[in-house]
Amino acid sequence: MRSSIFNGQALAIIKKDIAAIVSNRRMFLALLIVPLVLTVIVPTVFLLILHFVPEETADFQKLLELMPIESQPREMPKTLINLLLNYFLPIFFLIIPVMAASVMAASSFVGEKEKRTLETLLYGPLSLKEIFYAKVMASFLLSMAVSVLSFAAMLLVLEIESGLLLGFLAAPKVTWLLIMLLVSPAISLIAVTLIVRFSAKAQSIEDAQQSAIFLLLPILLLLVGQFTGVLLLSGWLLLALGLVCAAAAALLLKRSLHRFQYETLLQ
Amino acid sequence: MNAVTLDHLSKTYPGGRQAVDSVSLTLEPGEVFGFLGPNGAGKTTTVKLLNGMLTPTRGSLRVFGLDPAAAPEKVHALSGVVTEHAQMYDHLTGLDNLIFYGALFGLDIPESRRRGQKLLAQMELSDAENVKLAAYSTGMRQRLSLARALLHRPSILFLDEPTSGLDPESAQKVHAMIRRLAAEQGCTVFLCTHQLRYAQEICTRYGLMEEGRLLAQGTLESLQARVGSGITLKLRLSSLPAFLEKRAVSLGEHLFALPIRTENEIPELVRQIAADGKDIFHVQAELPTLEDIYFALTNRPKETL
Repeated sequence: MRSSIFNGQALAIIKKDIAAIVSNRRMFLALLIVPLVLTVIVPTVFLLILHFVPEETADFQKLLELMPIESQPREMPKTLINLLLNYFLPIFFLIIPVMAASVMAASSFVGEKEKRTLETLLYGPLSLKEIFYAKVMASFLLSMAVSVLSFAAMLLVLEIESGLLLGFLAAPKVTWLLIMLLVSPAISLIAVTLIVRFSAKAQSIEDAQQSAIFLLLPILLLLVGQFTGVLLLSGWLLLALGLVCAAAAALLLKRSLHRFQYETLLQ
Repeated sequence: MNAVTLDHLSKTYPGGRQAVDSVSLTLEPGEVFGFLGPNGAGKTTTVKLLNGMLTPTRGSLRVFGLDPAAAPEKVHALSGVVTEHAQMYDHLTGLDNLIFYGALFGLDIPESRRRGQKLLAQMELSDAENVKLAAYSTGMRQRLSLARALLHRPSILFLDEPTSGLDPESAQKVHAMIRRLAAEQGCTVFLCTHQLRYAQEICTRYGLMEEGRLLAQGTLESLQARVGSGITLKLRLSSLPAFLEKRAVSLGEHLFALPIRTENEIPELVRQIAADGKDIFHVQAELPTLEDIYFALTNRPKETL
């Protein structure tokens, strides 16, 4: 199985699926707008407040007192910026890949069914496992691309604004590596696998999207909530939880690969 | 090795409807086999069974020795399928669609492009190769589907109503292509259709289906012999001689139909009519067509097909 996972044939499906999203300008913009609002506009607004109405930051002082972080009053802007960057913004990177992936994953099978191209795809020489895997990978890779793009845009904008307005650069913590390389991909993969499974059973794209929103979102929000707490506690705990999520994602994907039959897919 | 072997193949859907009922037949490599019958006769179900999209309820089947239920992807690698439900991507051009399906079958892009362009030319679609599929007519889509099914040079083609929804001219074109390709590439063809007249033009052997059962199979000659009705002689005469009054049926003014058993009867009949002093304007011997055979076997009225 492993040798055939990234063969040219599965790659053809992955490329085709991603190209279909990217070439659909409206869908692609919808895919990019929310992440960019979250990662560029939100921190910018925060910075502007910090710069132009520093008196408002008294409220932040109270917030800081609640946090297990040490800070000195004169370094407060710096502490706040680093708090924003290292404890608040990472949460977005648990949500963004899931949102980005859900758009594509929901239509993965049922979208082809609606356009009557699924049967043609199934008549290809790939096993159902390989097709399912390709569908999951296409959504997963796209979500990771959106995620990395958002991260780059966020860091760039934040550093430029911070440097120009406040006169110092924000310092990203090493936990960002864990978030971007482990936790975020793992959560995204869990979401994608589940949504692609919904998509394979659904009778319409709306069906699949609804299943994704009502069944998956509450679970994911719960998961995200837990990570928010963990972020504040320790990097090691974050690593451990990330590994658990990654293992869960791998297990889920492996089990899902065996679930499908042509007969149920084409119903 | 047989191209296709069906052995008492049966399929009952979960709802209880028996779509295929103990069908047994074999196809030799290179045959153009017409699988014929009205809608609901079990043709599409049989194609889906042959491609592993459905699993048989009873019986067994093989495609070039492979079991489609156990190794569908191996069967797909050597078969090309055209069905009404197997469409391509509207947002891609004709050629880009072929390049994608080429890649799916493991061809690299230059090779897919080369083969794709050649097939598009054969299908008279070269002018539309860079047009998005959304702008294709039904006839163009059907021809592109045929090109798609041939791209990986399959050993067997499964064609399920490849001319449904086409005007007679386009249907004729598609049939001519199927006939030519089968001859050129030596590809086995399993053609499902309810258009018996077209099938008769291109197939070498036939299977006649009704309500999931195989009524008969064989060449046109063997099927004609089986229904036994022999030949209908159409005659245009100045008037009907008295000795034929009981045997012939009037088809109109001076036009008569006369059932005979073999062509050997014709010369003597003509001599007798002439000797009787009648003028003979037209004599035509008509063999039973596939339609005649089908209706003789099923006792169906002709409108049902």
